[in-house]
Amino acid sequence: MKHLGEEDLIALYYGEPATDSDARRHLGLCRACPAAYAELKQDLEGIQPAAVPQRGAEYGEQVWQALAPALTPYDRPEHGWRTWMHWRPVGLAAACALLVALAFVGGRVWERHTKTDKVAGNAGPQATQRVVLVVLTDHLDRTERLLVALQHADAGDDAENSELQSQARELLASNRLYRASASEAGDPALAGALDRVERVLAEVANDPSLSAADLDRVRKEMNTEGILFEIRVLLSKAPDRATVADHAKGASI
Amino acid sequence: MDGNDHSIVRAVLAGDKDAYGALVRAHSATVFRVAFRIAGNEADAEEIVQETFLRGYQRLTSFEGRAQFSTWIYRIAVNCALNRATRSGVKAEYRYGEENNPEQKIVQVAASAADPERELLSREIGAAQAQAMQRLTPTERTAFILRHAEDRSTEEIAAVLGIAPNAAKQAVFRAVQKLRRELAPLRGNA
Repeated sequence: MKHLGEEDLIALYYGEPATDSDARRHLGLCRACPAAYAELKQDLEGIQPAAVPQRGAEYGEQVWQALAPALTPYDRPEHGWRTWMHWRPVGLAAACALLVALAFVGGRVWERHTKTDKVAGNAGPQATQRVVLVVLTDHLDRTERLLVALQHADAGDDAENSELQSQARELLASNRLYRASASEAGDPALAGALDRVERVLAEVANDPSLSAADLDRVRKEMNTEGILFEIRVLLSKAPDRATVADHAKGASI
Repeated sequence: MDGNDHSIVRAVLAGDKDAYGALVRAHSATVFRVAFRIAGNEADAEEIVQETFLRGYQRLTSFEGRAQFSTWIYRIAVNCALNRATRSGVKAEYRYGEENNPEQKIVQVAASAADPERELLSREIGAAQAQAMQRLTPTERTAFILRHAEDRSTEEIAAVLGIAPNAAKQAVFRAVQKLRRELAPLRGNA
């Protein structure tokens, strides 16, 4: 019988729905795990959050009185001919755009009718895949460079660390999109690797000082070397791996 | 309240600035509570409350009617508190246990006058807990506070911090593991 790990016990303590029923069943059957759970429970119950100072009923009013002078009212929506005059250029631009779009779609439909099936069938998907592959490969390249920089970062160089954090913030946003796309497309290997990357990026991006100890901790606790290896494996497979391109499609379109 | 909140938001966007006062009055206490828990002191918490409602007003056009205003403003508050901690680089003054509330402290002194050893011990435990909290990263600390003190779900924490649910879960795990490791020497005394 496999015992519950600390993570399972923590999840159970906080009532994580995914582990709740299985873990509780195991606790009822096992002899060792209830003791470990009792110890964890005692530890966590011992950590009492700070008592929040009470604020009276007038507190909200005080906040509002302090805030109100700094606020500028939103513009009231205009009505009638003034609204039309205001929006006329936008309307004309939209009408022009609609005409161009209709002409474009019409042209495409006409072209599809006239071209042979052979040409039309081959060019589209391949071209899309090539574009998508380049986009994901570029992201993985940038991530690899950041992880290498992190491995060799010197805590004393403030400029370098600031650059590292700004890159991490940029990559964090795009990484979320790729990770979500990979999950939706059912590629657990790619989604898992991007998830691990995301944790490192979040830590680096949100660290207030990025001291030598912080850098060392991130490297050790998050196994950045292992993640770097994973990224390199993904990069080495990318050109031959149609699925990587497919799963990134959602994020790049 | 939330259906009403939506109509208030519409009124504010239509130019009625004063309507925003109703939202501030209704949600100030909640925002103060989470700001205090993350910042660890009243002065910073007060400033976070002001900043939160100011940002909320400025971004009101991006508020989507599908969400609840309370959730939306809570998310802004946590981000303000987290940004403040990150920006200033100043460690928050976490106070745990009996030392955190002046009123409670007075009661504690009176009640435990007969047992000075116990009072000393609880002070030591409070200080050790505060120190252990300082050693967590900002993400771990915030995730732990949201889970442990604010009783928020993993999904809510992930949404508030803008990270994947699994990353939020891992942040809570790491925080608990570190805290337990740091506080292990006190285990028999608590």
